[in-house]
Amino acid sequence: MSYAYLFKYIIIGDTGVGKSCLLLQFTDKRFQPVHDLTIGVEFGARMITIDNKPIKLQIWDTAGQESFRSITRSYYRGAAGALLVYDITRRETFNHLASWLEDARQHANANMTIMLIGNKCDLAHRRAVSTEEGEQFAKEHGLIFMEASAKTAQNVEEAFIKTASTIYKKIQDGVFDVSNESNGIKFGYGGLPGPSGGRDGAASQGGGCCS
Amino acid sequence: MDLVAKYQGVVGRVFGNENSGSSEDSYVERLLDRISNGVLAEDRRAAMLDLQSVVTESRAGQMAFGAMGFPVILSVLKEERDDVEMVRGALETLVGALTPLDHAKGPMNEVQPALMNSDLLSREVDNISLLLSLLSEEDFYVRYYTLQLLTALLTNSPQRLQEAILSIPRGITRLMDMLMDREVIRNEALLLLTYLTREAEQIQKIVVFEGAFEKIFSIIKEEGGSEGGVVVQDCLELLNNLLRNSASNQVLLRETMGFDQLLSILKLRGTTYRFTQQKTINLLSVLETMNLLIMGGPETDLGRDANKLTNKTVLVQKKVLDHLFMLGVESQWAPVPVRCTALHSIGDLIANHPKNLEELASKRLGEEPDLEPALNSVLRILLRTSSKQEFMAADYLFKNFCQQNPDGQTMLASTLILQPQSMIYAPFEEDINMSFGSMLLHGLTTGENEGDLETCSRAASVLSHVIKGNNQCKEKVLQIQLEAPMPTLGGPEPLLHRMVKYLALASSMKSKDGKSSTSTSENVFVQPIILKLLIIWLSDCPNAVQCFLDSRPHLTYLLELVSNPTTTVCVRGLAAVLLGECVIYNKSNASGRDAFSIVDAISQKVGLTSYFLKFDEMQKSSLFTSAKPFLPRKPLTRSTAASMAEIEDVGNESSDQKNENHPMLTSVFDSPFVYFMKRLEADIREKIVEAYSSPKTQVTVVPAELEQKSGENDVDYIKRLKTFVEKQCHEIQDLLSRNATLAEDLAKTGGNNSSPLERKVSGGSDRVQLETMRRDLQEASQRIEMLKAEKAKAESEASTYKNLAGKTESDLKSLSDAYNSLEQANFRLEKEVKALKNGDIEALKEEAREEALKESEAELNDLLVCLGQEQSKVDKLGNRLRELGEDVDKLLEDIGDDIGADDGDDEEDEE
Repeated sequence: MSYAYLFKYIIIGDTGVGKSCLLLQFTDKRFQPVHDLTIGVEFGARMITIDNKPIKLQIWDTAGQESFRSITRSYYRGAAGALLVYDITRRETFNHLASWLEDARQHANANMTIMLIGNKCDLAHRRAVSTEEGEQFAKEHGLIFMEASAKTAQNVEEAFIKTASTIYKKIQDGVFDVSNESNGIKFGYGGLPGPSGGRDGAASQGGGCCS
Repeated sequence: MDLVAKYQGVVGRVFGNENSGSSEDSYVERLLDRISNGVLAEDRRAAMLDLQSVVTESRAGQMAFGAMGFPVILSVLKEERDDVEMVRGALETLVGALTPLDHAKGPMNEVQPALMNSDLLSREVDNISLLLSLLSEEDFYVRYYTLQLLTALLTNSPQRLQEAILSIPRGITRLMDMLMDREVIRNEALLLLTYLTREAEQIQKIVVFEGAFEKIFSIIKEEGGSEGGVVVQDCLELLNNLLRNSASNQVLLRETMGFDQLLSILKLRGTTYRFTQQKTINLLSVLETMNLLIMGGPETDLGRDANKLTNKTVLVQKKVLDHLFMLGVESQWAPVPVRCTALHSIGDLIANHPKNLEELASKRLGEEPDLEPALNSVLRILLRTSSKQEFMAADYLFKNFCQQNPDGQTMLASTLILQPQSMIYAPFEEDINMSFGSMLLHGLTTGENEGDLETCSRAASVLSHVIKGNNQCKEKVLQIQLEAPMPTLGGPEPLLHRMVKYLALASSMKSKDGKSSTSTSENVFVQPIILKLLIIWLSDCPNAVQCFLDSRPHLTYLLELVSNPTTTVCVRGLAAVLLGECVIYNKSNASGRDAFSIVDAISQKVGLTSYFLKFDEMQKSSLFTSAKPFLPRKPLTRSTAASMAEIEDVGNESSDQKNENHPMLTSVFDSPFVYFMKRLEADIREKIVEAYSSPKTQVTVVPAELEQKSGENDVDYIKRLKTFVEKQCHEIQDLLSRNATLAEDLAKTGGNNSSPLERKVSGGSDRVQLETMRRDLQEASQRIEMLKAEKAKAESEASTYKNLAGKTESDLKSLSDAYNSLEQANFRLEKEVKALKNGDIEALKEEAREEALKESEAELNDLLVCLGQEQSKVDKLGNRLRELGEDVDKLLEDIGDDIGADDGDDEEDEE
């Protein structure tokens, strides 16, 4: 398990926007058109490489349903990054972003990096939220923005890696007190020398590349 | 809430009835008043101390506090945070109010004030939130008491607290932070988290998210790993709670931490010969963790199988087998429960995992010169251990090794080569150079006295795994010929025969000291295990059946065993199955040994009904009905761990139990074997019915053979026919005798008093069937009676008709006589007529003419008379008329004309 850093992510957003599918696409590189409703939270992990350093991503996929909100709030504080997802074909999921963001600001630590993702961009013909609106919202609230598709895998890899490199940059800039694990970042056992051999279990997915 | 009302009711009742109660009540009330309204800090603190002691000492005090105290104390916690001493006091008071008093004298069904108070406190989420916020206080005691309070709440109302903590953002985070606190707090928090994670899945996940794995392993390391104290045990219990029902958490552990740290706990360090009870429990707990990973999460989980497989793969890659073999085999000081669990874990790791099977097969143990295959070491333990539990664990390992692993079976079977005599009697200590097979054979064949028969049965169990479902191995083992113990006792004998011999030996030993149940219970598994071996061996293997039947006494013995009332239900049932295999897998044609002869022997010596009864009895026995695919292990908690570590040997414990439920037998009758036997039974029933319903193949009636062949002379033809008839005659005799035994059997079952025992056990369905058959029989005989009567009637009728027919016949005869005579008469008459015809016609004519003349003359005379009368009339009238002056002549002429004219008129009319 050698990694230079370990980042914890959470994925949040309304139910049915494709949070679990984004995670599955990222960790297993596959798309599952019919996905069971997430109960509570689910977990996924993958190794990526940024700046030639192996970085482990621990990703917690939360349930979007209102009834799980109190449970999922427990995951905010310990996360270094959050993917806030809406569905470009369902306007109301975009309209709810503000309340999600408020939740995040309230329970997460202030340095959490938030990536706004407009999912299902393969369904352009049913689009209900324009790219510009998404960009505008992100700009107003200081988020990174991308439109992606868990189905076609478009921008999925990029979204996760972009978030990671932003966090990485913050570390380099000394924003984080890395000794405090509660901000979702950890120094790895493997230290800095980079990837060292394939001791990484059976499910090691190999790294993407930094964009 | 009605609960509050009820509570206050209870309080009121208690205080109403008891003087002391009401005094407590007012005392508590006064103290509370001093706390909330006091001015002097000193006085308030003193009041708090007093309240604390009341609450920790008496139930009445706890009750009184519950009824009035919470608002006061909670407001202290909320609003007087700066007064550390007051906060401490308030917390301690709460802990006291929530801790059940053991020395309660009240009856059991009385309301527990401590439980009531827990309920009241945990009802408000805000209260829990308040308590969690106290965990961030500077003061050590505040944090410590708060944790104690939370633990008390969790013990008394777990559901409520779990929900409350989940609904509070960062609630768990706070608790997790406590794990990094000072030791006392950390240990307290560890306990709290352990309780909290026992069931609530969402809490388990959040705890993991908060980095529980890292923290747990760092504490374990700090505490000295398996050598550590009860804190290590608590850590492992928490770890197991997190992994037990969550494949997701297992993945996380594997993917982010890996199993290295886990495995390092298994590694024996330091004084390896000292196994304190705590160390034993710690090791058992890690082995449980191992087991949870091998099981791969809850059964309902969809990804369970994949997760399980990956876990097994990674564990073995991380050399877990080394550690497990150290604990299970190599360490001479490891206590039995640890050894057994380690062996069991090895068995689970290799089950259905080809790569791990290979790994185990090539595993070697020991130091360089004395290196030996790990499987040999396990076999040695299996044969020599004094603990039955250890035998069972080792047996489990071999069973899993041989399951769906024909290559492994073949490998083991290939080493089954007999060592020279000298080696057979070599002491065990020299067996280091023996092959697996030789050691196994050694174990199989060194038994004549009881102790060694047990060894023999253990070896037999292993052998049954080696040959199970693998015909190649069965054939190979069939070839093994053993030399007679003493050369004078005849030539070599097949291994299979030796096994039967031991089977018989075991029963003869039992019958010798039959009445002493203690000595038999030790050996109660010997026969079942050998029978199981034989059943597995003979299954689908005609050569083994042949070999078994080669010795005539075998069949006789088996038949006796099936009907031997002194053996157990299970032995009789197994013997019946074995006997059935001699029928269904019998390819022999030799008379006396073919399937038909066996069936005949069964029906003659045992009786088919009672034979099949043995199956039923066995199926109904608790061994069969309780066979389960696997026994879920109880989670190891503080309370169960100690007892687990103390169990030395199951075998010793259960010697008083009924023989039927011996743990060894339960392991022999695992569910695959039970299923296997059920299938066999169905086959056996089918085959036996078939044997009775179709004739022997050798005497098929071929009509073509009955014809005289073209070149065949009469003598040969007759000879051939004669032999054919003789054959058929034999066949008929056979069938008759079989029929007779069947009838006897039937009669036995049908008879009311011949065998009450059999009737008693025979199922209700049998009886019903019997009843219907009896009814059928009655109906049939009634019908026969009726038919008889009808027949008699018909007969009598027939005779009447016969008489009638006779009479009619005679009538007919007389009639025809009469007719004949009539015809003759007729003939005569005709002749007469002819003769008469020619002479008399002229005379007749004359006569007729004369007669006719006479008649016409008389008529003429009459007419003339009439005419004369008329003339006289006319004359008379004419005279008269003349007198009267009439011209008579003229008148007369007119009359004549009138007549003529009338005639003319008539004619005219007519025209």
